[in-house]
Amino acid sequence: MARPVSHAAVVAAIVRKDLREFGRDRLWLILTIVGLALFIGVFWLLPGSVDETIRVGVTPPDLADTLIGFSAEETRGGTGDAASQEAQPTQGLEVVRFDSAAKLRAVVSGEADGPDVAVGLAFPADFAGAIERGAPVTVTVYVASGVPPEVRQAMESAVREIAYFAAGAAEGADPADVVPVRQETVVLGPDRAGEQVPLRERMRPLLAFFVLMMESLALAGLIAVEIQRRTVTALLVTPASLTDVLTAKSLLGTSLAFSEAVLMLALTRSFGAGWSVLLAAALLGAVIVTGTALVSGAAGRDFMGTLFLSMVLLVPLAIPAVTVLFPGSTAVWVKALPTYGVMEVFVRVTSYGESWAELWGPLALAALWCAAVFGAGLLVLRRKVRTL
Amino acid sequence: MAGPAIEVDGVSYSYGDREAVKGISFEVAPGEVLGFLGPNGAGKSTTIKILTGQLPAKSGVARVLGRDVRRDDPETQRQIGVCFEEKNLYEGMTADENLRFFAALFGLRDVDTAALLDRVGLADRAKTRVAGFSKGMRQRLMVARALVNRPMVLFLDEPTDGLDPVSSKAIRTLIEEEARRGAAVLLTTHDMWEADELSHRVAFINEGRLYAVDTPENLKLRHGKRSVKVRVREHGEVVERSVALDADDTGERLKDAVAAEGLLTIHTEEATLENIFIQMTGRGLD
Repeated sequence: MARPVSHAAVVAAIVRKDLREFGRDRLWLILTIVGLALFIGVFWLLPGSVDETIRVGVTPPDLADTLIGFSAEETRGGTGDAASQEAQPTQGLEVVRFDSAAKLRAVVSGEADGPDVAVGLAFPADFAGAIERGAPVTVTVYVASGVPPEVRQAMESAVREIAYFAAGAAEGADPADVVPVRQETVVLGPDRAGEQVPLRERMRPLLAFFVLMMESLALAGLIAVEIQRRTVTALLVTPASLTDVLTAKSLLGTSLAFSEAVLMLALTRSFGAGWSVLLAAALLGAVIVTGTALVSGAAGRDFMGTLFLSMVLLVPLAIPAVTVLFPGSTAVWVKALPTYGVMEVFVRVTSYGESWAELWGPLALAALWCAAVFGAGLLVLRRKVRTL
Repeated sequence: MAGPAIEVDGVSYSYGDREAVKGISFEVAPGEVLGFLGPNGAGKSTTIKILTGQLPAKSGVARVLGRDVRRDDPETQRQIGVCFEEKNLYEGMTADENLRFFAALFGLRDVDTAALLDRVGLADRAKTRVAGFSKGMRQRLMVARALVNRPMVLFLDEPTDGLDPVSSKAIRTLIEEEARRGAAVLLTTHDMWEADELSHRVAFINEGRLYAVDTPENLKLRHGKRSVKVRVREHGEVVERSVALDADDTGERLKDAVAAEGLLTIHTEEATLENIFIQMTGRGLD
């Protein structure tokens, strides 16, 4: 007859069994190895330096022509056709017209939909008249966080140059002497001046999420098979309790996702001074995707169903990682997504070297989401198993 | 233990509005095989689920080895073995790995899996993954898995389903051995002949209600026809006559039959369990 057995021994036996099954599932094994290698390869292939066109929003719209004309003049030695330059990068500059300063500000801050602009120049409505009269004017420069200081400074001097250009001042004269233009610079979002992030760095959270996602899919597949073949029922008539089974699945999923995310972060040289914060974020991310795996594994009726459900749950979770790719502030609804906190920590640690003191907020948010998603996963799987 | 290994007293269970088990009561003693007979949907599987802690009884008492059955009770579950009707094995693992895994869940490290596989005729397939097993081989492995912890109570749901006659015989022998060892066996089967041969007692269940719990002999005596069928050749033709055993002239008629010149065969007309089941419940077992 069997002896009393500890919960830890039961959980360990189930984890060992799951690992053996996982190791023998060629599809997931290949996907894991190839995926990891691919994501790390992509990371190192991406440009590690910045070379990008800055899109500048301008209001009122008619001032955009002045800016385009000025920009073309700068590029072509003052002989360009202003109208033809719109929306064409000129010296890395692309001009977009806006009807109002409020709209421009909202778009730069990411609070409103619109063209992706990192810098906005809001001129007063009577700018040209004021320049002609020599009256003092104030131009507001909206700058999204992440815009480098050299671009910011370039925009500020561009404002003076435009005024100078608009006033038709003599060549060689100091623009500051010609028109009394005052500038007010508004940085929207956390000020990241001087900290522009190259594409490779911006891709890091997304690649880390892909790694987490792969393991989520693998775990969902394991759970789905356990349910569809009713092997879980066989477990539950042994000393293994449902809690033991759920613990084993959660441990396995979280461990796999976490270890692979850590491996990926290590191979992309992500660990620096903030390594402990990064580990905490990776762990929270692993728990979140494990929670989604518990849901999709329990609810999927077959392989395709499980895969479909997994994607439905994981795609929204990838959005915060995707938004990192695009400079500018993040929309409010993106901040409400469960993985936002984790991705925020990834970015701020790896790109800006922030630490626990600055990141407790996003970490706390991620921990809350982690508890919610994981709790929901446990609930759904428990309910599913009980109804078998 | 002195008392019954399985006690079911007034147990009921409903799936929503549908009453699957309606206040059934029976007991199984240690070393006894109880054949649990009924058609699909009769309530057999629900009863087993209740007794193995998978479902909580809505009313009544279910006890296994003297303990009230409840979910997640390792004390009871380490002493039971369950062979499910569905072949819920780990396909990616070998037969040996399947058994070792379940042994580990019972805290057993020194299980002789080779001997266990030998008992079910799978000794030469120990290292083969279950995915490559035939239906019969899976069924045999299911039985082996149910025995991995040397359980004192065995729940066997159609254990010979899909097996060839030789394998079926091997499993029946194994069930008899387990009963001799002292294990109480609750056996569900559609095979009336098997139930008759293996069971010390049988229980008839239909639409959640228990119709009879008794030995096959008693059921046959109580419900079968007490008569003898005599076949004789008369004037070149085979004639069949039935001789009632309880009639006043039974002795004379049997004497005449035996003395008849053209006597071919004499058979008792014993009722089968299936006949009795149909007679009692009004429906067949399929």
